[in-house]
Amino acid sequence: MKGRLQKVEIIVLLKQVPATESFVEIADDGVSIKTDRVNWVINPYDEFAIEEAIQIKEAHGGSVTVISVGPEKASEAIRTALAMGADKGVLINDPAAEKCDCLGIARILSEALRNVPFDLIIAGQRAVDDDNFQVGPAVAEFLSIPHISMVIKEEIADGKIRCHKVVEGGTVILEAPLPALFTTQRGLNEPRYASLPGIMKAKRKPLDIKTLADIGLDAAKAGKPKTKIVSMKFPPERKDGRIIEGESAQAKAAELVRALSEEAKVI
Amino acid sequence: MATSPETVLDGLDSESRQMVIDTVRQLKKRLLTKEKILEFDKNEFFPEETIREMLGPEIGLQLLVIPEEYGGMGGGTLDCAEIIREISSICLGVATGFFAIQLGSDPLRVGATEEQKVKWLGAIADGKVLVAYAVTEAGAGSNLAALKTKADPVSNDAGKIIGYKINGTKQFISTGGYADFITVLAKTPEGPSFFIVEKGTKGFVQGKGEEKHGIRASNTSPLSFTDVFVPVENLIGGVPGQGLKQANEVFGYTRLMVAAMGLGAGEAALKIVIPYAMERIQFGSPLSEKQGYTHKLVVPNAVRIEVAAAYIEETAIRLDSGEKDLQVEGSIAKLFATESANKTADDAIQALGGYGYISEFEVEKIKRDVKITCIYEGTSEIQQSIISTFRWKKTRKTKGKYYMAISSEMEELNNVMNDAGCLFYSLAASALNDTIMLVNDNRLTKEQYIMFALADMMTHVEVGASMARKAMNFTKSGDPEAKKIRAMSRIFANETSQLVARNILKILMGSGVFDQSSISDFMETVSYNKLICSFQNIIKDMDMVADMLFERG
Repeated sequence: MKGRLQKVEIIVLLKQVPATESFVEIADDGVSIKTDRVNWVINPYDEFAIEEAIQIKEAHGGSVTVISVGPEKASEAIRTALAMGADKGVLINDPAAEKCDCLGIARILSEALRNVPFDLIIAGQRAVDDDNFQVGPAVAEFLSIPHISMVIKEEIADGKIRCHKVVEGGTVILEAPLPALFTTQRGLNEPRYASLPGIMKAKRKPLDIKTLADIGLDAAKAGKPKTKIVSMKFPPERKDGRIIEGESAQAKAAELVRALSEEAKVI
Repeated sequence: MATSPETVLDGLDSESRQMVIDTVRQLKKRLLTKEKILEFDKNEFFPEETIREMLGPEIGLQLLVIPEEYGGMGGGTLDCAEIIREISSICLGVATGFFAIQLGSDPLRVGATEEQKVKWLGAIADGKVLVAYAVTEAGAGSNLAALKTKADPVSNDAGKIIGYKINGTKQFISTGGYADFITVLAKTPEGPSFFIVEKGTKGFVQGKGEEKHGIRASNTSPLSFTDVFVPVENLIGGVPGQGLKQANEVFGYTRLMVAAMGLGAGEAALKIVIPYAMERIQFGSPLSEKQGYTHKLVVPNAVRIEVAAAYIEETAIRLDSGEKDLQVEGSIAKLFATESANKTADDAIQALGGYGYISEFEVEKIKRDVKITCIYEGTSEIQQSIISTFRWKKTRKTKGKYYMAISSEMEELNNVMNDAGCLFYSLAASALNDTIMLVNDNRLTKEQYIMFALADMMTHVEVGASMARKAMNFTKSGDPEAKKIRAMSRIFANETSQLVARNILKILMGSGVFDQSSISDFMETVSYNKLICSFQNIIKDMDMVADMLFERG
């Protein structure tokens, strides 16, 4: 690590999402999923964010605050982040927030952070449930700070952050002055376990639960989504394969060519 | 997550427990991947480094079993049961290595002096030691009275005992070959006592690992002691002759843990079978839509596994709420959960057909592994013997009130929830009570086979009653699984009813001591004809459970 060591105050944006192996069923309203049998976990990209934040804190000093917008249940995910080594948690739990789209969530998060001193915000590149890729960059925009996406390596020195990101065919190195926000890409680190001593300590760490009013947002305004989910569908089921019968290899090949040309119309 | 204000229980809050379970699940992604687990099994490899990593500062799993005052997390019985169940669902071999630490620390937890606890439990909490529990000998399994390993007092010139000299051999010791210290049971002039022996002590030889049928990722070694001197400070509790009491005190608890291990392995097998059956197409439709397949190989096992889970949880909570003397419950849990899991794993091989027989598909490993749970910590037959003897005595002592209380409890439950089979649990409990009295009055308790038949009846009635209570709790709290649990409870009530009816005939007719008219009278008394009617609608119930297990429309 180059340069003068300085304490870094870090914010991690976190979302609790259904575990990828959960059995997903579309709810009766057709625009959401049934959640009663879902197993909830920390969004995997946010786990990279927590791990990176803890590593930066371990190298530079400072503190890690985890913030999430979600129902009461999301406090479990924050508690797990505290068990991994974050210092403080904030959950914004407000019925009005449930109707928000990603831009609304970004608005809430940025308002919550407006009066909090920080040097760095780390967010997952996307949440694996809605796959919107929006919240991190939008928070940076709302807070008027630089944003670097899909980071696989970072260094902090002299009030700046230098990030590596993979692009088609190579790596780009970007630098931004702090405070800044970056989002994570697989390969950044290997998230640690929530150790048993960590779990014991997490119980005594602060976890504030706030409403939209607490952070100075008008619930009626914040809840108005700019996008609407119209319907949810499963991907179409794959049709069975077909085995082409024929007397000889030539006959089979001829039939295949005919089928590709006349039925599938691909050649 | 339910946070109901109940009586204060030992152990962790449910949120912390869930976090520990989640940490164990994380192990599957890195430390204990499927590939590694299969490799440990294939190469008969004790993953010492991996286990030490599980005990290191990054994870610290052993802290669960150590009380808070000695640097641990102070997990309760339910916590330990849930976590060992989770580890066992990954690999029973690794779980055995972890369990050895818990077993080895048990004599310290229940019997050690304060100084000994600080020193040895503290060392375990630090995560730098592997521990083993050395009780079994070639000639002394469950029969500890036959113990041969001796500890002779060594006195100084003033005649004061300064230590003991241990001689003998121990067999089948889990982690015996690698343990940094062991708690060993040896006979002193005052009776069996536990001692701590450290690795490297002169005369203490940790033998080579046995080649095993299953749990091949665990180490099982013989230990030999030749004039092994241990200072008197290593006598657990400081007073000789307390060993059997200390060993017995933890049986209710340790057997419950083995039950949870079986449960975890059984669940792992089901988790492979269910998706397989949904994907495997034969004769134009998935196996999961074939009634013969589901009702023979899957549904009964899924029901028993759920019943075992209900009983283990109930017993763990009773222990955490401070109840003592639940040794028989520990035996019932172990007998039922491990035999059910063994059957589940066996059927899982069958359910996968040819693939079931191939290592890569894991079920054959689970089957080889789970068999040990029917053997160690007292075989199933030892459990049958304990259950029948103690419940017979309890029935006699309470003049039948013990099982009659269960019978009336189930009758009352049936009045408020008439679709969980409670009526049959009630009939079965009452019939069981009459049968125990009949066996007692005719001095048939000397016949072990009859006692085993009773043990199976007792086990079914008690675990079934627990399932009915779970169905009630779920129904009351509006749990989304309530309907499934009630349907499973009906299916198990049928199993219980049929088993009780059959074993009554086995005893009445098989014993050869009753004439036809007294047999008829007794069958009338126990409402035999009502018991066997439990089959009513049972195939429809199985269809319903299969719908839920296989997520069919």
